[in-house]
Amino acid sequence: MAQVVLRKVTKSFGALQVIKGVDLDIAHREFVVFVGPSGCGKSTLLRMVAGLEDITSGELFIDGARVNAALPSQRGIAMVFQSYALYPHMSVYQNMAFGLKLARSDRATIEERVRKAARILQIEELLERKPRQLSGGQRQRVAIGRAITRNPKVFLFDEPLSNLDAALRVQTRLEIARLKDELDATMIYVTHDQVEAMTLADRIVVLNAGRVEQVGSPLELYQRPRNLFVAGFLGSPKMNFIRSVAETVRPGQLTVRLPGGAHLTLPVRDGAPGIRSGTQLTVGVRPEDVVPPERGDAVVSGGVLVVEQLGSESYLYLRTEGDQTVVARRDPGLEAKVDQPVKVGVRAAACHLFGADGLAIERADPPPA
Amino acid sequence: MGARRAIGRILFYLLVALIIVYTVFPFYWAIVSSLKEGSALYRVDLFPPHPAWGNYVGIFQQQNFARNILNSVIVAGAVVAVSLLLSVTASYALGRVEFRGRTALLLTILAVSMFPQVAVLSGMFELVSWLGIYDTIWSLILSYLILTLPFTTWVLTTFMRDLPKELEEAALVDGARPWTIITRVFLPLLWPALATTGLLAFITAWNEFMFAITFTLSNEKRTVPVAIALISGASHFELPWGRVMAASVIVTIPLVVLVLVFQRRIVSGLTAGAVKG
Repeated sequence: MAQVVLRKVTKSFGALQVIKGVDLDIAHREFVVFVGPSGCGKSTLLRMVAGLEDITSGELFIDGARVNAALPSQRGIAMVFQSYALYPHMSVYQNMAFGLKLARSDRATIEERVRKAARILQIEELLERKPRQLSGGQRQRVAIGRAITRNPKVFLFDEPLSNLDAALRVQTRLEIARLKDELDATMIYVTHDQVEAMTLADRIVVLNAGRVEQVGSPLELYQRPRNLFVAGFLGSPKMNFIRSVAETVRPGQLTVRLPGGAHLTLPVRDGAPGIRSGTQLTVGVRPEDVVPPERGDAVVSGGVLVVEQLGSESYLYLRTEGDQTVVARRDPGLEAKVDQPVKVGVRAAACHLFGADGLAIERADPPPA
Repeated sequence: MGARRAIGRILFYLLVALIIVYTVFPFYWAIVSSLKEGSALYRVDLFPPHPAWGNYVGIFQQQNFARNILNSVIVAGAVVAVSLLLSVTASYALGRVEFRGRTALLLTILAVSMFPQVAVLSGMFELVSWLGIYDTIWSLILSYLILTLPFTTWVLTTFMRDLPKELEEAALVDGARPWTIITRVFLPLLWPALATTGLLAFITAWNEFMFAITFTLSNEKRTVPVAIALISGASHFELPWGRVMAASVIVTIPLVVLVLVFQRRIVSGLTAGAVKG
């Protein structure tokens, strides 16, 4: 049972605080992804779990034991680095066996574990090669194999796919997803790529500027982002934020005026505090929820800015009244001329509402299926 | 066009030939002189008409030159071993560990190598007699470290700093302590740098003269450069050029062999880190 528990963990470099009090409970065998923009502290947080960075204050427990001061090798972790970090002068076999050798395991155990890891990753025929004779994807497999050989309680991945080309990245991502079921270990995975986060994670931890913005399952975060940052970070193209004004506030209902004057009524939990008629709000709509006007509850009109053809779909960018940009997903092959007037619809059931402080105003209804 | 290019090439190779003659001729002249005896020394011959090996035999028979060579080998070997051991460990600290005053320390190390030898000579002499190692090869091993350690440490620190940080971290996660990281992860990657700096340290110790003549007194404690300088003839008025040259040729050969053996290592050492491996 390898839970990882963080209690008010902070990290400072001199006067600069980069991790500002993180509380997190990671369950045994859970796959948790730290995601955030560059510089948000996600790698630092991972390295603190690994023991490669000191914890300035707060506590870290792995498997029930407080490990703030423990060496990386005593924490029962294994780490896969972005640059693979294979020992260049050792063969693949020696690379994978190095940790066990240092731990003075006997030859038979080492042999057995290395062979087993190599079999899982299908790199058995590479065992005698040197890292420089391997391709990027093979190197990454060896790095993962080295981690598996250590038989850790917790796997730590630091952006393991970002040095691979696009095709290999998808393939390796699938491999990691498969490993997740095969290995009896907890996994923490750092990435800036939201697709990796969405596809791999049991739970996603969105970090921004050293703080946890939201923790939850991928769909939870996608459907009910707690604030503007999370809403804007997950999803591609990102969620449309439309500046709007609250018009009438009734118990359980809020009507907002969109640019151009259309009204949209949303069911909200009671007690949305501080919102009165005239309060500035942000309505969030994902591009796939910007529908043709006849299917929407409110209609927004504007002029076409640009159309992007992605083959499987196309994206229509339009500029609305009040000089705001709205993106709508459409079927492939959409044709539209620049500046051509166009109307789009917004469905009330698919809208997110954010107050002036950037926090989501809770909706009363369950998320759309 | 063709003619101009041809002239350019001719000039280029003339320049190359000039440089080669300039650098190799003194050594060639030493070889030629070492093969002459008696008054033949004072005739100018590009090739000795009657090569004679008497000088080579003479330096071993008339004095204990073998002992001097052995001393030089021991001193230079010990200096290389101690300098590399100390500078590898020091460069790990200076190159990989963050601590206050690291830059100041590095600059101090560099500053030490800027002192002229004469400046430290008398202080070193006091130290040597206080330690009671005057007229032993220990005094030379100790004093040569002053000459070699600054640059071996400096060069190895540069190399050490360029090794990827992730390698060290991967080793840490694998359970390696600093000593294991140095010996089993970094050293194999530092071989080219070790060969280069080790060779330079060896040459420095092998050729050093001033400390050697100051700190040793008896003939059987002397190293090769001093022994050569003190080779004497039958009388005060005769300088035995032939034997001096023969001795010089003998002591140059080990250096040439070493350079040839480590040549490929040196080249890769000088260019290592230039391209991503």
